Amino acid sequence: MLDIILSPQLFFAAAVLGSLYALIGLGLNLVYGTMRLLNIAHGDIVMLGAFSAFWWFTLTGFSPLLALPLIAALGALIGLGLYILLFRRQLAQGLDPVAIEARSLLLFFGVSVVIQNVTALLFTATPRAYRHLDEVFRIGDLAMTGNRIAALACSVVLLTAMLVFLKKTLFGVEVRALIQHREAARIVGINVEKVQIVAISMGFGVTAIAGALLSMTELTTPFMGFRFTIASFVVIILGGLGNIKGGIMAGFLLGLLEIYAVTIFSAEARSILIYGCFVLAIVLRPQGLLGIGKKV
Amino acid sequence: MIRRQLFGIALGTALATLAMPVWAEDPVKIGYTMARTGLFAEAAPSQENAYALWQEQVNAAGGLDVNGVKRMIEFVSYDDESDPAKSAQLYERLITSDKVDLLLAPWGTPHHLNVAGVAERYGFPIVGNTAASVAIREVQPGNIWFPTSAIPDKIGPELAAMLAEAGVGSVSIIANVLPFSQENLAFLTAALKAANIEIKMSENYPPDISDMTPLITQMKSAGADAVLALTYPADAFLYMGQARELGLKADLQFMLIGPTIDAFNKAFGPAADGVVTLAHWSPAQSDWPRAKPFFDAYVAKFNQEPDYLDSALAYMSAEILTQAVAKAGLNKDALRQAIASGSFDTINGEVRFEGVQNSVTPTAFVQRQGDVTELVWPKSIATAPLQ
Repeated sequence: MLDIILSPQLFFAAAVLGSLYALIGLGLNLVYGTMRLLNIAHGDIVMLGAFSAFWWFTLTGFSPLLALPLIAALGALIGLGLYILLFRRQLAQGLDPVAIEARSLLLFFGVSVVIQNVTALLFTATPRAYRHLDEVFRIGDLAMTGNRIAALACSVVLLTAMLVFLKKTLFGVEVRALIQHREAARIVGINVEKVQIVAISMGFGVTAIAGALLSMTELTTPFMGFRFTIASFVVIILGGLGNIKGGIMAGFLLGLLEIYAVTIFSAEARSILIYGCFVLAIVLRPQGLLGIGKKV
Repeated sequence: MIRRQLFGIALGTALATLAMPVWAEDPVKIGYTMARTGLFAEAAPSQENAYALWQEQVNAAGGLDVNGVKRMIEFVSYDDESDPAKSAQLYERLITSDKVDLLLAPWGTPHHLNVAGVAERYGFPIVGNTAASVAIREVQPGNIWFPTSAIPDKIGPELAAMLAEAGVGSVSIIANVLPFSQENLAFLTAALKAANIEIKMSENYPPDISDMTPLITQMKSAGADAVLALTYPADAFLYMGQARELGLKADLQFMLIGPTIDAFNKAFGPAADGVVTLAHWSPAQSDWPRAKPFFDAYVAKFNQEPDYLDSALAYMSAEILTQAVAKAGLNKDALRQAIASGSFDTINGEVRFEGVQNSVTPTAFVQRQGDVTELVWPKSIATAPLQ
């Protein structure tokens, strides 16, 4: 059993999966943390990122990795558009966070249905896939496909950059302040509107990038998003709502849990174990791994 | 001057009347529902594309032959949201409210089984296509027919027979927990035991699995002669990519559903070479003269290959309907009789029905060999030997 647990292959698989979960969770956490918006269309932004990468590669023949800034910008634009159209006025009304959560849940449900069906209408529901960086590299017993290495590397770089940005820059301090106490942040003179705009743009942008990375290894369809919505909610609740560092840790933890649960027990037990641990974590640490919105 | 104008109008009208007798006929309204949204939406386009191609071809040839009169085809279709109960309600609407002349089938086994009740109630004949379960035999015969031969209680013994002939002594199996995979697993396990093929490993996995490294590592350790992955499309992609990464090698690699989807070959290219999968149609079979033209027309229209199961079955069902309507017209009793007792020439060769099932087409498997998907089993319809 020890040799299985110490297998570099399993660790690599867990790291790839965990890094993507962490990235997707980060996007949701930024939006929830700063605005208390429960974005259940989050997985659909992953899907749009995946579709963008597919079409970029199909039409230009260039690596989707080159298009990541463009795809992030597209995600950011969608986030910004939704903010202006649906949420700016509501957030400005100073509603109770519970009311904002309830309204946003319903609104994002509608957004999710619209995004899925418009995508299916434009591109049909036909599954899409493409070959990119599919060479296999071997180091001893460890085998890694180029696209999975690229997904891991891009996710880790982006997660690190986001953490540094939120920790070291003045704007990062403002985001953290807003996450910790919205009214206090407003009182000390933080431009809440500006922070919200940047947070939703960044949140949607990193989520679209996660989708682009996933498209290199998974089937892309207009209806692929739901399982990523679920995974991202598990990640941010496990890590502590609005707690960016906790969410990233939870993403990697979920990846490890998923791979090792299947290895040690069985694939059929995967969902039971993951959601069992999730429920247990909520019961034992309702504030999440590192507490709700207390740390970056 | 006026006289000349009147003469021109009269001549034009006469010519138009002579040239367009067909246009005087009302179009034939054909109804169906499709899973355009929801759980099965990614699987359904390959079926609906085949319907669209058939409509285009028939209309381009002057229309559907209804007892010797050519009439254009007009579709009336709805999104059933992947909900079998909704599909049944919509078929009732198509019959009673939209008053369609004919029906095509929805996508998938549960939808077919629900719609079979509506067909029975209204005595409205439907040629099914993408239903594949032993449950279809429980359907009351008379109003619905199933051209597929990809039925689990046939697939298991045929796969075991093919493996035995290929000299396979042991297998590792992984199976999605969804119904079609599990139904196949049950019949396959029994058939493998009967054929004295050792099952070194058998594991189920959930449909939302995100990584198959642990399962494929287990398969690799088991060291069986053949690996059998009873997949659905999404996990087929995951399996293939990660099996490649981990260097899973076996004399024979079988995947249940997935490799016949166009995107699969686009994603894996030569790496998918040698993978065996479930399908009973191939454009490579020259004994079926319409097979290759269908393939070429589909590729030309949609810029992708048809699904070797769903697209082929959908087109076959439309061909059967075309030939039955030419003989019997739109009268439901005559049409029912024509379908039940007729012999049909399709892209998949001859089709005849006994009860609700196609009694001619054998259960078969295909293998990707270079750029061609060859039929490799059974020998009676094989286009190339198993490699």
